[in-house]
Amino acid sequence: MTARAYSTLALLLVLVAMVGCETTGGSTALGIMTGTNPEDIRGAVTDIDEPEEIELGRAVASAVGSRYTLLRDEPLTRYVALVGNEVALQSDRPDLRYYFGVLDTEEVNAFATPGGYVFITRGTLRLMRDEATLAAVLGHEVGHVALKHHLAAIKDQKQKAVGSGVTKSLIRIGSSFIPGVGGAVTSAVVNTPLLDLTMDVAVEASLKGYSRDQETEADAVGVKYATRAGYDAAGLRNFLGAVQDSGTQPAKAGFLAKLNSTHPGGPERLKAQDDLLKTAPAGGRRAAPRFEQQVIAKLPPTR
Amino acid sequence: MKRTTIAILLLVGVVAVSTAAETRWVERTKVDIRAGRGSFYEIVDTVIRGDQVEILTTQDKWASVRTKNAKTGWVYEAALKATPVQPGSSDFLKAAPSDVATSRTAASQGAKGIYAQNYAKQKGYDYGIVEWVETHQPDGPQIEAFLKDPGETAGGAR
Repeated sequence: MTARAYSTLALLLVLVAMVGCETTGGSTALGIMTGTNPEDIRGAVTDIDEPEEIELGRAVASAVGSRYTLLRDEPLTRYVALVGNEVALQSDRPDLRYYFGVLDTEEVNAFATPGGYVFITRGTLRLMRDEATLAAVLGHEVGHVALKHHLAAIKDQKQKAVGSGVTKSLIRIGSSFIPGVGGAVTSAVVNTPLLDLTMDVAVEASLKGYSRDQETEADAVGVKYATRAGYDAAGLRNFLGAVQDSGTQPAKAGFLAKLNSTHPGGPERLKAQDDLLKTAPAGGRRAAPRFEQQVIAKLPPTR
Repeated sequence: MKRTTIAILLLVGVVAVSTAAETRWVERTKVDIRAGRGSFYEIVDTVIRGDQVEILTTQDKWASVRTKNAKTGWVYEAALKATPVQPGSSDFLKAAPSDVATSRTAASQGAKGIYAQNYAKQKGYDYGIVEWVETHQPDGPQIEAFLKDPGETAGGAR
């Protein structure tokens, strides 16, 4: 037997031990549980740490990419990301790496995924007149990420899956490492069904929008982050007003899912901003000239 | 002689206390040590849960640390703990695409998009959006320059 064949055999034995052991407890590779205690399984698979959250965010972003076209405009994206990063630095998770992108649609909307991927549409930028407004809307989206609004829904769904009869099969079917031809390890990774299920849940939770309480909370922290960064506190109020004045139809998902002139969410959000402005610090900057130069002058015409 | 010995012992004691007080343990699964106080700065090292770091200074909730690889950089203080933390990687990182799955290399690489790419491919989603935004963001110096410019005149984001 060659050295390669021995190493393959050893790897297979490890895999068998990983999947087959019923008494050790705990967990091994992703989603492959070695314990039979439901509590062990529940605790291990429902926790979502930051690396996993980021990977879920990538999955959600790819789903966004299947519904919208990304505007691959480097200067515009860089500008939006500069403002976004300035606001994110003031957030409750300033150590998370945030990525910002512009979607090539006139739909007025914005999205955030778990793990810090934030998208704003061309139509949303078109309704703005200054950087303070952009900072507030990006702050709102960063707020969803910083406050981990996605994770509660994802963990809840994951918990339900774990509690169901199909969980064990979901966990066990997947394998992580595939021995290659001739004994070499290919390093290929196959997602476990549980991970795919988690990504499904993440996509659904992220794209359908949040509860009204979460939107209210994101509004509040969005303005807080923007004002901490030195922007005018009226940014979000101005944007919500502009949306209402424009008669924009609310999107089914994302930032505006709960905003509609006939929906109680819209007026409530505006009133909350009016109340906030009564006590907000005055004198924040609007940075209108830079916004004019970087966005208004460069936005592609309406198609 | 006796006085000198006592002085040396006191000095050693002070140094020992100071060193112990400046040590922190990484509490999160994986933490990137960065060149500046922000998530957009270059990664200089990566530490994992249970690793010790030496605090050099702190500023605005960020700590400048020296890692056991003798690299220095910044980390958000909330990622560190003042008492020892048991090492341990997440199931997620253990499944990183490598045959050295539990190693530091695997942890530092994480599962860099592999699972999401698998998922996107299976669903017919466009993973290109992720790759594009990840590679078209401003770097640390660009953001630093932006932060210094209030933007009340045109320019500042070129």
